[in-house]
Amino acid sequence: MMVRPEFLPILILMGLVSFFCRAGGFWLMRFVTVTPRLESALKATPLAVMIGIVVPVAARGSLPEIIALIAIVIVMRFANNDLMAAFTGVGVVAVARYLL
Amino acid sequence: MTSHQTVFTVAGMRRGFIAAQSFGIGVFLYGLAFGLLAREVNLSIMEAMLMSGVVYSGSAQIAAVSSFGKGQIPGGGAVFAILLTILMLNARYLLYGAALRPWLGQASGWQAYGSLAILGDGNWLLSMKAREAGENDAGYVLGSGLAGFLPWMGGTLVGVWTASLLSNPAALGMDFMLVAFSAAMGVSMLRGKGDFAILLSAAFVAYAADRLFPGPWTIVLAGLAGAVTAFLRYRPESTS
Repeated sequence: MMVRPEFLPILILMGLVSFFCRAGGFWLMRFVTVTPRLESALKATPLAVMIGIVVPVAARGSLPEIIALIAIVIVMRFANNDLMAAFTGVGVVAVARYLL
Repeated sequence: MTSHQTVFTVAGMRRGFIAAQSFGIGVFLYGLAFGLLAREVNLSIMEAMLMSGVVYSGSAQIAAVSSFGKGQIPGGGAVFAILLTILMLNARYLLYGAALRPWLGQASGWQAYGSLAILGDGNWLLSMKAREAGENDAGYVLGSGLAGFLPWMGGTLVGVWTASLLSNPAALGMDFMLVAFSAAMGVSMLRGKGDFAILLSAAFVAYAADRLFPGPWTIVLAGLAGAVTAFLRYRPESTS
């Protein structure tokens, strides 16, 4: 179980930056009154973030990913199950990348 | 919407932990991929585990370790570059934390910051979705967080131990896991005309940002675009 001494300062700095990101936004909101209007904005972030994750991948236009995204939407429409849809997507991507 | 009386209980943690099992396998395999990479640049088992425990961010750790080179620990400017990369890759967590304020803000400091310390993407998305569906127990955030953190540590451990079990995670589609979950949960969260405006603004901004400067900022900007849209379109009567 060896840890090189020169590894530790980098580890601590990396940990501090990561924790700052995780806790910083929450901490800053202490000083903000959350009005119903602001709360509706905060509630909109998950959907918008998911779109921010998916759109660049779709826009690159790589065929396996696009086929997989279509498969995910179809599974969600019929089964309405996140887990089943996501794993279908991952499976389709793996197979399509192999075949195409 | 039901009453917003927030509590923090073990029962809530358990609900979150069980609900989050869906992404546990994906996180485990991602951890495995990091463990293998860590071994390639000659990090010890302990060093890899410490990094996974303290940084807990797949993309950031892989980027950091990639600039380590073969067994070389960087210094000076290279460290600064690594820290900047982590800051950029994790900037979206500032937004995640802000969005959790109305909920976690009612828990104690230890409960809130403890939950935030192991916050993950799937963990946050799932919690926000549960909150929308009426979950008031803030333990849900920590429980679903643990369901991601524990397999992440386990995956790292197995990865650094085994040499080449999974040499190319992209071949198994594991890099697509977060995208797949986002698409699936996005479809299930789309309701009503208001959401459509959020979708359009976020999609437009994400597309433009990806074209102009591809990278981690795309997610942050899309999130902000959706928040601003909802803020501007807010009507007091329109709560469901």
